[in-house]
Amino acid sequence: MSQNVFARLQLHRLRKIEIVVHAEDHSAVEELLKTAGVGGWTMIRDVAGMGHGGFHQGRTIFNDHTGLVMFVGVAEAAVISEVAIGLSRLFESRPGVTFLSDVEVMRSDYFASSTSTAA
Amino acid sequence: MNMMAPLTTAETQLTRTEVAGLVALAARSVPPLWPLESAIAVNPLAGFEDLPFAEAVHRAARRFGARESLPLTAWRGLLATGRIDPKALRDAAIRELGGIYAAEAQVAPGITALDLLMARLVDLPASGPEPEQDSTTADVAFLAKWCAAFFDQSQAASPMPHRDLGLYRAVLALAGHDPDYARLTGALGAQLLLTVSRDPLTAIAEGLSALGVSEGDEVDHLADLVARLPGWAGHIRWRGEHTDPANVSGAPAGMADLIALWLLIERAGALAPRTVPQATAHVGAARLAAHFGLETAAVDAALAAAHGAFGRIAALTEGALGALFMTAAEWSYRNQLVPRLEAAALEREAAAHQTAGAGPDAQLVFCIDVRSEPFRRALEAQGAYQTLGYAGFFGLPIALHRHGEERRKRFLPVLLAPQHDVAEAPVAGREDEAASLSAELAREQHTAALFGAAKQGTATAFATAEATGPLAGLLMAARTIGPRVLERVTRSLTPDRASALAPALDCCPTDGQRPAFTLDEKIGYASALFRLTGLTPQTARLVVLAGHGGSAVNNPYAAALDCGACGGHKGGANARILVAMLNDPAVRAGMAAHGLALPETTVFLAAEHDTTTDVVTIFDRDQVPASHAADLAALETSLARAGAVNRAHRAGLLGRSAEDLLTGAVHWGEVRPEWGLAGNAAFLVGPRDWTAGLDLEGRTFLHSYDWRADEDATALTTILTAPMVVAQWINCQYLFSTIDNSRYGSGDKVTQNVLGGIGVIQGNGGDLRIGLPRQSLFTDAGDPYHVPQRLLTVVLAPLARVEAVIQANEILGRLFGNGWVQLVVIDPETGRTRCWRPAGDPAAEGSTLH
Repeated sequence: MSQNVFARLQLHRLRKIEIVVHAEDHSAVEELLKTAGVGGWTMIRDVAGMGHGGFHQGRTIFNDHTGLVMFVGVAEAAVISEVAIGLSRLFESRPGVTFLSDVEVMRSDYFASSTSTAA
Repeated sequence: MNMMAPLTTAETQLTRTEVAGLVALAARSVPPLWPLESAIAVNPLAGFEDLPFAEAVHRAARRFGARESLPLTAWRGLLATGRIDPKALRDAAIRELGGIYAAEAQVAPGITALDLLMARLVDLPASGPEPEQDSTTADVAFLAKWCAAFFDQSQAASPMPHRDLGLYRAVLALAGHDPDYARLTGALGAQLLLTVSRDPLTAIAEGLSALGVSEGDEVDHLADLVARLPGWAGHIRWRGEHTDPANVSGAPAGMADLIALWLLIERAGALAPRTVPQATAHVGAARLAAHFGLETAAVDAALAAAHGAFGRIAALTEGALGALFMTAAEWSYRNQLVPRLEAAALEREAAAHQTAGAGPDAQLVFCIDVRSEPFRRALEAQGAYQTLGYAGFFGLPIALHRHGEERRKRFLPVLLAPQHDVAEAPVAGREDEAASLSAELAREQHTAALFGAAKQGTATAFATAEATGPLAGLLMAARTIGPRVLERVTRSLTPDRASALAPALDCCPTDGQRPAFTLDEKIGYASALFRLTGLTPQTARLVVLAGHGGSAVNNPYAAALDCGACGGHKGGANARILVAMLNDPAVRAGMAAHGLALPETTVFLAAEHDTTTDVVTIFDRDQVPASHAADLAALETSLARAGAVNRAHRAGLLGRSAEDLLTGAVHWGEVRPEWGLAGNAAFLVGPRDWTAGLDLEGRTFLHSYDWRADEDATALTTILTAPMVVAQWINCQYLFSTIDNSRYGSGDKVTQNVLGGIGVIQGNGGDLRIGLPRQSLFTDAGDPYHVPQRLLTVVLAPLARVEAVIQANEILGRLFGNGWVQLVVIDPETGRTRCWRPAGDPAAEGSTLH
């Protein structure tokens, strides 16, 4: 792909949040994402990896509530900050990690915030 | 002009997402509560499993206002009847005192610390059973009333308005017209009703700020509120996490709604004082001294002693003494079970070198449920039958849409989400019966709807009662005098559902959300049966997969007698589906390609064991080829004989006749059709020939496992992280329902009322009750039939393999490390037995296994 073609791409700067939590906490994270107004997210089950608590195995066959899950959400910076603030409270007593980063997306309308439920 | 300005100035300090995080943490203090139609066991202290067991029990007791153990008098009763070994109690006391040297140390002339503690355990007067306390304070009654109205499942003649707004906003909209609210909260409550935020998360933030709850204390504050209505809070969790969203979208409610309502009441100053936990009764040093006839000087000297044992023993609460009794009960059981299992393992290893004899006439796979074990033992005694234990949903993550029912139901453990939607369809050649059944079901539904409308109509209520009263009276008399005759007549008038309809594997229900099975999936589920149980492909001519369910009439807890692994439903449907897969030639070919070539002569059959009557129903008998008719006839004869043997045995445990059990299964006044899983105590993982020679007294979950066929430990990981977790939930439900039946159980069945299809309440109001009723755990005399003790898991596998599985799975480290489940590993390679010691637990001393 030539540089000219790349330059023609219309990219939009947004923020991305990646969250890794125990599978049993997935409902709590989903609730946070909804509350903050994230319009959609990706959830990756059976995440395995090495942490300070040792190696975490992926999900087992008959139990969706074991192992780790990873959420990936992209939205406006203010919305992602709201998620991070909520997570900071959740992580006071539940294990988990989160990563925030700047990203560029092609179709920003895909990442529009959902309507807030606040009255 | 807003005259309520002072109330609106509460500064919101937390953001909505912060509150959402705090609410999520607070919600963990109660477990989900499943509705009656799919009642399954849950550990009421599931939210405390991150803590060591003893600390969890203590903290939960404070939060829920519950007892920490059985009353001392009940424990002493169990000791007196021989259900607790006095030697085990002594060993538990020695460990409590810090070891044999500390226990034998003299704390007063001629008196050891052990003497003092044993006296407290066994001799000194204990406080009697506490009177039942009514926890339904005015605030609880108010919220419970509105929860019942909001969550109503089309039972009310006039549904609560504004349910589409959500629980919090709907109650706010109506509370101003409720005199109970006015009485409860007064003028302040009325003012708050006008000014409080309509968004529950914002209202919670306002409430925490207005009440001055310090940063860091918020979760405990909110969790205490959640714990005031554990039943309804559990129902909200179930709706949010374990049901199809479409089923509840008309009346949305989250934990934030409930908490916001609690904070409204608290801000109005109407929150009732916390229920004080059980009196931490202890005896004074003087009383202990008097028991031993010590003089004042001797007592003073003992109290002044550096180690302080005298004072410490005198100050032990009855909860702490009860914990020692529970340890003794666990050791009593372990000390009699594990040596027998060790000996059986040695015998098995020795026999492994002998030439195998002829194969079994039939193989039968039962659910791991503790009620399967005595039946399996009785069946094995009838002939050359090999039995195996497997999770009762047979590894199928399905939701079943039963014919004639509005919604699909989840026939799988709650640990899993459904992957496949399955619908019932007419059995080939039985289309007429199926059509007749459909018409019958439609008639029943129309009649029920018509009767409901007539009964609740203003103009028709009395006329309906007059018109149907005599018929209802006759039916009542028939149900009371001749329930078995009535049941036979009713059955003869309607087509047999299981004969006319069967789960269809290859078509997805019209409203299905998930796909039907692909061939690869069928091969996978069929193969899993072999991989997880150690069943070899040299199968017998007949292999029966037996689900199970109970029989009860007019019993809100009927589903609790069914298969927990099938989401509180009977397990026959799952068995039929897996059998259909296993008999499918394409699946057989696929299995053969993966190294599981089954004999062509093997026919799989589905069955269902009725745990109340011990009758086993074989499904789809007409599909059995003529070549296997004689095998089936012989098996059915053996099943009937085994059923009679087991029924007689179980009748003895219930203090009744075997015939009476059959009557109880269809009698509308029966409060204890069977003992269910009462007595459950152990989870054994190993091949059946390891345990087949032992009478395990119906107290063990048996999961078949062959460590030699599980090199990568996948099967062991699955067994310990799923079926064992379900067994632990069951065990904890029975344990806590027994130690405090009023808080963790649902109390006496006689005074319960059923609330729609949701749950039961005591009397005419208050919270939804959680846990098991008194009749499921205690004898009519009030003695505990179920001895509260933690699950003992025994695995026959190499120690290193078990350790590796535990280290790789955090949930196991938590359950074993925090002492929620006790683990014993019998290593078949070395012959050594090891107990997993929970973190911080001192070694046992004395004659106890360690």
